[in-house]
Order: sequence, then C-alpha cells, then structure tokens
Amino acid sequence: MGKLQLITRGILKENPTFALVLGMCPTLGVTSTAINGMGMGVATMAVLILSNMAISLIKNVIPDKVRIPAFIVVIASFVTIIEMLMKAYIPALYASLGVFIPLIVVNCIILGRAEAFASKNGVFDSALDGVGIGLGFTFSLTAIGAAREILGSGAIFGVTFASDVMPLLFILAPGGFLVLGYLMVVFNKIAKR
Amino acid sequence: MKSSLKNMVLVLFTITAVSALLVGLVNNITKDVIAQTEVQAKNEAKFKVLNTTANEAVVLVDEVTKISDFEIVVSTVAAKEDNNRILGYAVEAPSITKSGYGGRIKLMVGFAEVEGVVTLCGVEVLSQNETPGLGANMTKEGNALEKSMLGKNPDELSFKVKKDDANGSFDSLTGSTISSRAYANAVETAYAGYLKAKGLLDANAEGVSGATNTEWNEDNNVTEEEK
Amino acid sequence: MSILTILTGGNISQSVLDGFASGVVSVQEISIIAIVIGAIFVNNVVLSQFLGICPFLGVSSKVNTSLGMGMAVTFVMALASIVTWCLQTYILVPFGIEYMQTIVFILVIAALVQMVEIVLKKVSPALYQALGIFLPLITTNCAVLGVAILMVQKNMDLLTGVVYSTATALGFALALVLFAGIRERLEIEDVPSAFRGVPIALITAGLLAMAFMGFANVVPLP
Repeated sequence: MGKLQLITRGILKENPTFALVLGMCPTLGVTSTAINGMGMGVATMAVLILSNMAISLIKNVIPDKVRIPAFIVVIASFVTIIEMLMKAYIPALYASLGVFIPLIVVNCIILGRAEAFASKNGVFDSALDGVGIGLGFTFSLTAIGAAREILGSGAIFGVTFASDVMPLLFILAPGGFLVLGYLMVVFNKIAKR
Repeated sequence: MKSSLKNMVLVLFTITAVSALLVGLVNNITKDVIAQTEVQAKNEAKFKVLNTTANEAVVLVDEVTKISDFEIVVSTVAAKEDNNRILGYAVEAPSITKSGYGGRIKLMVGFAEVEGVVTLCGVEVLSQNETPGLGANMTKEGNALEKSMLGKNPDELSFKVKKDDANGSFDSLTGSTISSRAYANAVETAYAGYLKAKGLLDANAEGVSGATNTEWNEDNNVTEEEK
Repeated sequence: MSILTILTGGNISQSVLDGFASGVVSVQEISIIAIVIGAIFVNNVVLSQFLGICPFLGVSSKVNTSLGMGMAVTFVMALASIVTWCLQTYILVPFGIEYMQTIVFILVIAALVQMVEIVLKKVSPALYQALGIFLPLITTNCAVLGVAILMVQKNMDLLTGVVYSTATALGFALALVLFAGIRERLEIEDVPSAFRGVPIALITAGLLAMAFMGFANVVPLP
C-alpha cells in the first residue's frame, strides 16, 4: 500500500466515525460546537500517532493474552503526559481542550488502531496510519460540531448569526444522535457513488 | 508472541513500571510550572476584574475568610500611583449551595466602591466544567450572566435566575439554567465574602444563609428547602 | 455535595477536582432512591451523558445479547467502583500520586474485564460466543472509567458510590435492552438503503433520548 494511501484512506474509505463507527462517545460528547470538535480531533490525533508508534515498537515483546492491558497502559500514559505538558506549557490551549483530554483514554479508535494496525506494522507506517485516521476523525468531528452549532445555537465557529431562534435540541443529547445519524446517511450516499 | 504466565507478568510489570516512571518524571518537571501558571492566571484575573493591569496596580493584601467551610480569598487591589489608592476588591469564590452541571464553579469577582456605593465591576470564570456550547458559554465575554450583573450594586441584586424567580436579577444562558444558578450563587458567595472581609457581615455568621440582609435570608431559606 | 451534582452527572474530566479540594461534603443525607432514579432515568448514562455508546450501538441487535452485555457491564462497573474507590482513598491520595489516577483505574478495569471474560467462558459459553469481541471492549467502555472518575470527583463515600455506579450500569442495561427491542422490529422494516444499519440506529437513539428527556422532572431538581 502506498504511503499516501495510508493517510487518505482514513479520511474517506476508513473514516473512523462514519465508516468504522468507532469512538462514538467523544464524538457525541464534545461536538456541541465546531471548535470543540476540531480541538478534540487534534488532541486525539496527537495521542493516536504517539501510541501507534510506541505500540509498533514494542509489539514483538508483548504476549498475546496481555495485549489489551499493555496497550491501554501505554495509551493512558501518553494521555496523562500530554495533559500535563499542555497544562504546563500551553495553558491557553489546555483551557479550551482540557476537559476532553482524559476522555481520549477510552476512545476505542486508539485501542482499535493499536489492535488492527500498529500491532502488525512498522513504526513509520503506524505513524502515517495515526495521521490518516486522526485527520479523518478531526474532519468528522468538525463537521458534526458545525452542523450542531448551526442548527442548535445559530452560530458557526463561535460567530453567531441567529441567536435564540434555533432549536436548542441539537445541542442537547438527542440532537447529537440525530445529527450524527443523518450525516452518516449523507456520507453513505457520497461513499457509494 | 506466545503467552506464558512468566512472560505475561514480566512484560506487563515492565510496561507499567516504565510508564509510571515516565509519568512521574513528567509530573515532577511540570508540577511547578503548572502551579506557577495557575497562580499567574489568578493574579491576572485579580487585576482584570477591576479593569486594571499588573503594570498599573498591586495587590496589597490577600485576606482569607471562610463561608460554610469554603475558602474565600478577598484581595485588596490598589493603584501604584496616587499613594496606593484602593481601586477595589477582587474576590475569589466558588458556588456553594448550587453546583453546575460539572461540579462547582469558581469565579473572581471585582467590587469597587465609589462614594460608599458598591459596584460589581468585573467578573472572570476561574474554573468551570460545564457543557461546551451551553453552560461553558459563561466564559464568553458579554454573555447574558455577565450582562445581568456588571455595573450593578450587589445590594440591589437578587441572586436568582429569572426563570426560577420573577424577582431574580440574572438572565440565564440559553438552555443552561443549572449552570446559571451556580454562577449566580458564586457571585452571591463572593459578595458575602466581601462583606465578611470588610466586617460588614457578622463575624459569626455561618455561610451565605447567615447574611444580615433580610432579603438574603428569604432567598436562602428557599435554597435549603429545594435541596 | 448537593444532590444536584449527583443527579446531573457531568463529564469525566479530572480538572474539576483541582481547586475544589475543600468541597468535601457528605452525601449521606441524600435519599438513595433519588440517586437511583437520577442515575437510571434522568441522567441515563448512554442517552444523556454519551458514555458507553460503542457497545450501545454494537451489541444491541438482539434483546438476549444486550441483556447479557448489560449484566456483564453492571457486574464490572459495581466491582470496579469498589476497587477504584479503595485505591483512590487508601493509595493514591495518601501517597500524593493522584496524577496516576487514569492509569491505575484503567488497569484495574482491564484486569476485571479479563476476569469476567474467563468466568463467562467457563460458566456460559453461549453468552461468551454471542458477546464476542465486545467483551474486551468493556475495557474501553468509557462508562466504566467515567463512573469511577465521577465517584472520585463528587467525593462520594463508598456506599453511595456503589449505589450510584450500580444504578448507572442498570440505566445502561435498560437503554441497551429497550434499544435492542426497537432494533429487532426495525430489522423487518423496509428501511431506505442509505439509512440501513448504524444511521437508522442513531436516529432511533435520538428519539429514545428525547423520550428520556421527559424524565427530567421526575426527581425534583433544585
């Protein structure tokens, strides 16, 4: 498989949200605004690249039966380290993203990619896979966030154009499910062409 | 790799140990920096709520007072020029009787006194964990909550959201009544802390509910019942 | 701690802990029933807090399987809440290593899941077959870690915490079974092709979440 393809397939063919249906919890939980969706996507991408590389490096010494716990420890460590570094050196970014960081640990995309890709491929390819899937995830989250923000609060990327007239439902829990469901329909239509 | 009890335990232990070591190391490096940034952010907020900056003003004294076992820090901020003319008081206070959607909310509230009349001249959210796009909008400049209190005399405010109480002074954020209640409560706490620090509130008064103001008492009785 | 915080839940960030260390207030005065109803209906873990969505979508095509999954999660969650509470109170806090929380908790949960898997394989091979790959995924069921962290954040005592986590898990099981019931019917309906599978499931979940919003006033919120 071409190196470029490793990156591009994460965006459409193996889009983590719309095609693989992984990592739904953060997807729904943080996408009440476009900016938050994007932030979560980028933070997840950082952890995904690092954990993919680390797991690809140590894959040969891990016994099969303790694979999952071992991967999870690696992922949790990266998340904690990234959280502390962000808090210390880029507090402004942490202030807007901080609440999502611990959620990354339980994002099944990361464990899923560790299982499905990083534990079978080389370090460089695994990093590329992380970039591709990360980009796809960021793209989907931003799209969902934008849709919910427009429909629910009449704003886009924080710029309000129609305040107080849009149905708040889209920001609340049911709206999250509905928007994701309909976007997935649109995605299916496009992907099938 | 094949699994045997020995290598499973060994590998898992090694990975955990290395991870713990790394995390501990990073924690040691970042811990002081984090503490510093937090103190710095708090200091900046102290000046900001009184519409001044660290270049123009100083904190004369930080007085810690307690309300219902919660620490309220009342900082006296003075101008560097004019012989340390007191600009006002920055009060750091959490919401006590009401919690937001994601726990307590902590605010820095600025009180300025002009010819005996107290004015709420600024507010900064120090920490909150509300829903992004809903309650978290309280951190945005010029939001409904901020607008309902800035420039007002706290004596004339009723620390309730309009949705709950026709006499309430606070407009709530769209779809975030719970967050808004907590916000109003934190402002109330800050005012109580300010009064207590200035000796205007009975020193033995326990909590916001022990306020001397009768109107306040009514408010808080309601709060207790609701709980 | 006010009843409000318990009822309304929150998200699983740790940052709320910081700065509120002084907020240790007992929750005992709150009626257990309010906690249970709050966790099952008002703040259903799946339908209003967005935790545990992956198994919710993945194992909900048959009522029987979803019941099994619900029970497995309930068991893991109740056990995990006890173990993590003890670890937090007797090890992490006394030694001042709270920053290790995420790693320690997730390890405990992973170990517990492995244990449940082994037991299930022996006791009920059929159920084990049916749950398939989703059993290891309880580890990444954010509801389990989420509830463990929420318990710590909200300064619950052990009893309240166990009640809260069990009720949350029951809420998860309830949502899962209800949802499976709907999906079994959907199977025989003529759904437009682009909607088939996950999209229609998500839209159904949205409608179910709307129905659950009706519970908002069952327990009087302050």
